Amino acid sequence: MQTQEAIVQGLAAEPKLNYLTNGWTIKSWLLTKDHKRIAIMYLISVSVFFFMGGLYAGAIRLELLTPASDLLESGTYNKVFTQHGILMIFFFLIPSIPAILGNFLLPLMIGAKDLALPRINLLSLYIYWAGGALVLFALMQGGIDTGWTFYAPYSTTFSNTYVMLVGLGIFINGFSSILTGLNFIVTIHTMRAPGMTWFRLPLFVWAHYATSLVMILGTPVIAITILLLALERVGKIGIFDPSIGGDPILFQHLFWFYSHPAVYIMILPGMGVISELISNFSRKKIFGYEFIAFSSIAIAVFGFLVWGHHMFISGQSMYAGLVFSFLTMVVAVPSAIKVFNWTATLYKGSITFDTPMLYALGFLGLFLIGGLTGLFLGAMGLTVHLTDTYFIVAHFHYVMVGGQVIAYLGGIHYWWPKMTGKMYSEFWGKISAMLIFVGFNLTFFPQFILGYLGMPRRYASYPEELQVLNIFSTAGASVLGVGLLMPVVYLGHSLIFGKAAGDNPWMLPGLEWRTASPPPTENFEKMPVVTWEAYEFGEENGLDLEGARKRDAEAIPTT
Amino acid sequence: MSTHSDTHEHHHAPGLQHQFEDMKQQEESVSIGMWMFLVQEIMFFGGLFTVYLVFRSKYPMAFAAGSNHLDAFLGGLNTLVLIVSSLTMALTVYYAQKGNRNMQVILIVLTMIFGATFLGVKAIEYADKYNHGLVPVTGLNKKIKEEKKGEHGVGHETGHEKPCYDVDHNAPVVEHPNPKGEFLWTDCSLAKLGLDTNTLTTDEKNGYFSNEQIDADKFRDKVRIFFWIYFVMTGLHALHMIIGLGLMAWLGWKAFRNTYSAEYYMPVEMSGLYWHFVDIVWIFLFPLLYLLGRHFLH
Repeated sequence: MQTQEAIVQGLAAEPKLNYLTNGWTIKSWLLTKDHKRIAIMYLISVSVFFFMGGLYAGAIRLELLTPASDLLESGTYNKVFTQHGILMIFFFLIPSIPAILGNFLLPLMIGAKDLALPRINLLSLYIYWAGGALVLFALMQGGIDTGWTFYAPYSTTFSNTYVMLVGLGIFINGFSSILTGLNFIVTIHTMRAPGMTWFRLPLFVWAHYATSLVMILGTPVIAITILLLALERVGKIGIFDPSIGGDPILFQHLFWFYSHPAVYIMILPGMGVISELISNFSRKKIFGYEFIAFSSIAIAVFGFLVWGHHMFISGQSMYAGLVFSFLTMVVAVPSAIKVFNWTATLYKGSITFDTPMLYALGFLGLFLIGGLTGLFLGAMGLTVHLTDTYFIVAHFHYVMVGGQVIAYLGGIHYWWPKMTGKMYSEFWGKISAMLIFVGFNLTFFPQFILGYLGMPRRYASYPEELQVLNIFSTAGASVLGVGLLMPVVYLGHSLIFGKAAGDNPWMLPGLEWRTASPPPTENFEKMPVVTWEAYEFGEENGLDLEGARKRDAEAIPTT
Repeated sequence: MSTHSDTHEHHHAPGLQHQFEDMKQQEESVSIGMWMFLVQEIMFFGGLFTVYLVFRSKYPMAFAAGSNHLDAFLGGLNTLVLIVSSLTMALTVYYAQKGNRNMQVILIVLTMIFGATFLGVKAIEYADKYNHGLVPVTGLNKKIKEEKKGEHGVGHETGHEKPCYDVDHNAPVVEHPNPKGEFLWTDCSLAKLGLDTNTLTTDEKNGYFSNEQIDADKFRDKVRIFFWIYFVMTGLHALHMIIGLGLMAWLGWKAFRNTYSAEYYMPVEMSGLYWHFVDIVWIFLFPLLYLLGRHFLH
């Protein structure tokens, strides 16, 4: 009730400064300690990298329109897919949800004034910029052609592209992710408002806790691995060079020890967003809260034990392969728990098909396909046939794009009114969500078939009989591209012309909806006291949501 | 966190940052943050220790041979220096909590002296490796011009061919010609020892021998891997020491300005945690690099 009164008073009083209007100078942005401003700066930088990576993806699809290697010659093609991978993974997927939505929302969701370590937060942004600038510089110099996996000894001994610079950029960028994870863990432990117990945390926060664990435990290993690789290139001697008794397989072990858990950095925050969306747009308490919360932690833990499934055909021991294969099946269980719980939440919910919910429902289907095909690849026998084909490419795009990117877009739409105070065009939002869904499936579903038919990944040319499916895929990529560009237009449009969103446009009980939109710099007028459970709809949690919704409907006649 | 007053009613303790409600919350946050940072450091060094583990279990004789060329006395001395520096660091925290400015400054200066001593000894060791051609990177060793052929060593025909022979460890060390500053290793006695008693693993047999004959080049490569790991590990550790010295300098200045008291001493305690962590890394590095394998020769 307190909060409601505060909101009413806030409406009556003079407009107060929010985090966007509190200081207009460039310095007030670059030296800010406000997590919300840092999140906005991340949003802009990450989007730049996303669209750059998208351009490379476009080049790949255009080349694969025809069987011959005509648009790009093989060497260039190697660089193009490598840079697509590096930009998308290290500079888009990993920071996307944690650094933008996590940064913005974590303190709001737990009722804190800021993250626990605001200066560290700003430092992580600068480190991200430094790493990104180095990589961009390397790309302009001529790029890198090793694949985003940097496998030795090609990357250490033979490639004459800019492996060092790009490696250094990724090494630096890693610390940005470590510091973000560190900050989140500290914040969740110490900054919760009174009454915000662990089991009242939104599931978005649980997902970020799990993600942060992976960031802290995994990222240093890739840092040291890349450092060893860079030193090996400088010193012309090292431990990954088989000609002197070094071990290139060891590189793969070290690389995947991070890079497999890293795929959970790329999907866990997305799962957190989906938990929010499904529950809130079904207007129903989420089914099996504890199971979803702990399945995030389980994914983070088991995710560290399955890296060997990337190396089934690398020459690692068959017995190791057996264990890794089994553990891969085990790690599928918590993911399945989540999907079942989301589905059960939908059951008998009052579902509304707002734009964010369209993304959430899209996620359910796409992640299901992506996850199940992962099991195909985790089975040791089948993987011999499927590995290094387009089946793999389709699988991880279903999880990374169909999972994380869809969840990211859903989250951006969902919290856009909170971040900017403006409402975007619901019509164009829905059109774009559906275009992305259709375009995505048209792009990547044919790739499952292509892979099964034996089309290898990372080649600029392919046999002629595979052309039809490739044309489908390229056509889908065009639709997907249009769908992804549309939000830039209508979200940008809403910044200036959008109607004011109000503090709680979706009528939701979460703490982030109980402050102004956009929030003031210190987030809450008063320290909030939490007296309700997570996702509790109804009057007893202090907000008469249904009543407010009715009043809203009466006050604003729908046009 | 049961009672909460409005922020403007708050009495602001020195060093309390805006996002926290009280000093206890800040201390908890900073402390968890530091421990998380140390966890990340453990994983960082963990990767290196894994690399060490893999190659030592693959080529134990070569690692023993390399290990015997490290100066266990200097390594031991450095261990002692670091342990004492941890004591002075711990005492610094104690006196910061007491608010005793003079003792803080004295102890921080002492810690810095010990840290610098460590780095100095390390530099002496590195210089020794440089002089004896034990730096694994070609060109980073002392370049020694070729003198008359066959003057040094047994059967030394050209500078490029470095054969294997037993080194008398009591004899004075001779300078081998090394015009390009290459990694120099001629002592294959340990591999031979393994051959005699037939205790070598398959990896080692493939790694040291060609056609049942000991292959100087192959054995040298494995010792070179040992020194590569030695330099990467101790180098990164030394880098952490240098960062630690920077922290100490900053801390010393703040202590001199009388910043710390019973209410506010977290920066001292956190820097202390870092310093102890770097010490502990060395406690693991010393036996792994200097001591394991010594029994083969001593």
